[in-house]
Amino acid sequence: MSLANRVRLQGSPWKPVLVAVATLIVGLALTAILPDQKWINIVTSVLVASVSLMGLGVVTGSAGMIALCQLTFAAVGAWVVEWLFVNEQLTFFGDFAFVVYILIGGLVAAVGGILVGLPALRLRGVNLAVLTLGIAAAVDLTLLKTGFPAFVAGMRVERPFNLGPSSVASDRGYLAFVIVAVVLISLMVVFLQRSRWGASWKSVAFSERSTASSGTNVRTAKLSAFAVSAFLGGLAGGLFDGQIMQGNAYSFTTINSLGMYVLSVVAGSYLIDMAIFGGILFILIPEILKVFKIDLQWGNVVFGILGIQALTTNSNLGQDIRNAIYKRKMSKVPPVELNLAPVEEKKVVEVPQGTGRTILKVRDLGVAFGAVKALQNVNLDIEEGTIVGLIGPNGAGKSTFVDALTGFLPHHTGVLTLEDIELDKLSPSRIARVGLRRTYQQDRVPDTLTVGAYVYFVSRGKATPEEIADTLEFFGCPDPTVPLRSVDVGTRRLIEVAANVAAKPKVLLLDEPAAGLSHDEHIAFGERLRSLPSKYGVTVIIIEHDLDLVRSVCTSITVLNFGEVLASGSQEDVLSNPEVLKAYMGETELL
Amino acid sequence: MSLVLNDVTVSRGVGPVISNVSLEIKPGEVVTLVGPNGAGKTSLLESLSGVIRPSSGSITMDDVDITKLSRRKRSRTGLQHVEQGRMIFPSLTVLENLRLTAHSKADIEAAISLFPELEKRMNSATVLLSGGEQQMVVLARAFAAKPKYLLLDEMSLGLAPVVFMRLLPIIQQIAQTGVGVLLVEQFAHLALKIASDSMVITSGHVSYHGDPKKLLDNEELLRKSYMG
Amino acid sequence: MLTTALSGIGPGGYYAVIAVLLVLMAQLTRVVNFSQVAFGMFGAYISVALMSGQFQQSIKIGIKLPQVVAVVIGILVAGLISALVGWIIAQWLPEATGTARSAVTVATLLSLISIAYILFGSRPQPFKPIIFGPLMELPGGIVITKISVFSISLAVVVAIIAKIVLSKTMLGVRLRAIADRQTAAELLGVNVKLMNVAVWFFTGAVSGLLIVFIAPTQSSDIFTLSMLVVPGAAAALIGAFKNIWAGLIGGILLGVVQGFFAGLPDLIYIRDWIPIIVIIVFLLWNQRKEVWDVAR
Repeated sequence: MSLANRVRLQGSPWKPVLVAVATLIVGLALTAILPDQKWINIVTSVLVASVSLMGLGVVTGSAGMIALCQLTFAAVGAWVVEWLFVNEQLTFFGDFAFVVYILIGGLVAAVGGILVGLPALRLRGVNLAVLTLGIAAAVDLTLLKTGFPAFVAGMRVERPFNLGPSSVASDRGYLAFVIVAVVLISLMVVFLQRSRWGASWKSVAFSERSTASSGTNVRTAKLSAFAVSAFLGGLAGGLFDGQIMQGNAYSFTTINSLGMYVLSVVAGSYLIDMAIFGGILFILIPEILKVFKIDLQWGNVVFGILGIQALTTNSNLGQDIRNAIYKRKMSKVPPVELNLAPVEEKKVVEVPQGTGRTILKVRDLGVAFGAVKALQNVNLDIEEGTIVGLIGPNGAGKSTFVDALTGFLPHHTGVLTLEDIELDKLSPSRIARVGLRRTYQQDRVPDTLTVGAYVYFVSRGKATPEEIADTLEFFGCPDPTVPLRSVDVGTRRLIEVAANVAAKPKVLLLDEPAAGLSHDEHIAFGERLRSLPSKYGVTVIIIEHDLDLVRSVCTSITVLNFGEVLASGSQEDVLSNPEVLKAYMGETELL
Repeated sequence: MSLVLNDVTVSRGVGPVISNVSLEIKPGEVVTLVGPNGAGKTSLLESLSGVIRPSSGSITMDDVDITKLSRRKRSRTGLQHVEQGRMIFPSLTVLENLRLTAHSKADIEAAISLFPELEKRMNSATVLLSGGEQQMVVLARAFAAKPKYLLLDEMSLGLAPVVFMRLLPIIQQIAQTGVGVLLVEQFAHLALKIASDSMVITSGHVSYHGDPKKLLDNEELLRKSYMG
Repeated sequence: MLTTALSGIGPGGYYAVIAVLLVLMAQLTRVVNFSQVAFGMFGAYISVALMSGQFQQSIKIGIKLPQVVAVVIGILVAGLISALVGWIIAQWLPEATGTARSAVTVATLLSLISIAYILFGSRPQPFKPIIFGPLMELPGGIVITKISVFSISLAVVVAIIAKIVLSKTMLGVRLRAIADRQTAAELLGVNVKLMNVAVWFFTGAVSGLLIVFIAPTQSSDIFTLSMLVVPGAAAALIGAFKNIWAGLIGGILLGVVQGFFAGLPDLIYIRDWIPIIVIIVFLLWNQRKEVWDVAR
């Protein structure tokens, strides 16, 4: 059961391994039948370029940033390989020394990526673009002045496994080596994309807020994407150096970095097959132009125009192809529906009563936006094991309250305490990790993940795969293998609730979770809400406009009006309070 | 010659947010749309001004179908949408806000005459104004455009009731100059008092359409649609 | 060292102009325009081609235009290409994030550079200088060149024109409204697309004006010229892409610092890295007060 569920959450590991083995066999067969050095070299270059593109796919396609120095990382990788070779380092590795060189080259590039990423990644993605473009240009100039170690020493890098200098046999052997390397690298990328890291990248590309609310530090997610892309760039550079055996600055120019970025966007190179397709375009288009004696620059012109098209329509080749296949598949499959049936009679749970202990304390909370006071003098004690309803007219400050509680308004006044932890100075991701979670009113569930991958990401390993499957079933959510983009928004928001419940928080803030559900689904949802404290040990605060739902689940209700607490107490007291009715209807004592 | 909604439904990815609304706003009249939050009232206004497209139904203004017209063109042909949340341009002064829509000095003066309190704030950046003053600015700005139809989305939001009560007679004045006003409010009583036609929206559906006086007299009906 | 530092005022002036343009674009059109200088480069090369009567050896135009006419046409071409790109972005990405919009200018940078290579070849072009040489010599042997005065003046003039237009004209009111709240401006009937395209045209043309004057005075190949956007962006970052004057002064200072390091032959590599160091320092500085964007 457990392996099966883990498989369902993250996808079967066997498919990529099988594809890898098949590719390996086909690829090695290919090396045997290629006719001459020219073709062998072309295929080698295509594969090397694909590795670079896979790296770009991680940082631009998955994580949504603009990175313009991919070939600079390749240059770093090549440079390190040459330096290690020229200085005869680590020779005790024997035939495998070259492999070790390439890995070290990748790691050095990754470290470079982290250093570059640190200053750029907290603000908008454009800052990274400026920085990486600048670095590409600066490294270009520096490399032109210093040259590469092999050239400077008057040597040529030795290929691994005694392949010897360039010849048909040696090139063939090196191609076989590159094929094995690229297959292994692709497998690594696929498993990374499926892991929590990959989920964090897709999440951060979609919404930084919800990534933080899922307990994942936004900057860490972006930094990991950039470091992985740099690592892959470095590996590509090392592999390339083995092919040409003597690096030079002209192989790693800024223009080509720009071209590669644009190509990555056009192809959608976060998908392995599209990375290879991009590699083919990158290498073959110039070759074709050479044959027809057309200026090679036309290749870049074409890439540029395709790039403009892809960026303005927010689409890419890989996605278009997959959508076409998907549409044909899905026309035969019924749309994924929510299965939120009413709870059986004997399982109906009463409105929860608390344990008597205060789990969340709000003292004198105030939020001001300039001269406007959105919240003032808000005092609240949330009792453990209860469901507290937060209601009030639009503009009363409910969303501001949630934002302040979950760390998005660091300039609030007052003190917020969860058990004995003071929340005021903590970042949103830290607050989530410490046990205060929230869901969003707008749709903030990234549609590029599957249900299972998303829930696994949000719950941060707090729940076993069985518990996750259980929770999803409890809320009537679709199967973990279903991709989120085939699920409607109302159901997605319910999945968001389920995922945050699975994270076993101490307190869960739900912001209008039932919007988008039908009337019957509202009732069924309410039934499940009621059992949350007893089943999962979580205290719930729910913002809702549907007062029927509020009446059916809440132990106590707090009413906000004009940023202050108007009334707070049991359902009966609050909802029959004439002041509360007036607040909703706009009446005041003045009338 | 009126602003007509014909069986308009607006969807927002979740599914329909508001369905099958048919409504007519005549020049010189105030139509009030009330209902609790999440009912879809803002989405309806946005489909009128072109911020979003209705998923079905049509909208005509003075017998011209505007369902597919751009936001800019709708504004230029006489439809002004005063959005929720007091969308002043923070770095612009009061005067500059008005000059965006007014065609002449006379238009500006006419707008200011409705809101004399703004006179002494003409050269202040609007970000420094109070909520009530900001609401006056957006109203004056819309009025200075000499609109044929005016859509007002929850002016009362975050405003002290006193301020809101002061604005309502001005809305009536504006209507009396021949402007057709669609007033959306969650605070029903005050808004219904100045209307000649009314509609209640509950959970995305029209739960009442008719004489506002009948609605005001029937507390039960109003309370039910709000509190459930 | 002092001499080399002060000779850096020349390039500093270019950086200042580019920084001013980048800040204007960022504020008014929500784009970090990576193609900012490429537009100018293209216009400048067109004017050279018009003066010499041919593109590459093989492609003849047939007429040779006098310098003044060719320069004016070059500036217009720069403005028009910029306006075209601006139109594409305004038409298809009107509500997209700044990052998505800026990404388009990366693709256009690539396209422009490669089209320029095709049309003009990779050999240096015979730019006829418009102004050149020293303006005056100060005590201590420090020479102030005409071109450095020109570029700094251009930067100042553009900044002042921007200030005047934005604060005193109706056009400026509309531009600021769009920058504040684009949708609200649209609902009031403001022609957002036209305003955007106008800003793109203006900055593109100024970029053309700059490059047409400076290209003759330094090693100018297509790529190096286009990459001037990097130190320009570094300078713009000093003002967080918000403050025109910080960008202007920052650009000049950047040139001076670069010049200083050029005078230290042992540290020759550092010179190329000065803009990056500035970028990193100011990125870290600008992040001190992080605020959560509601939209993200």
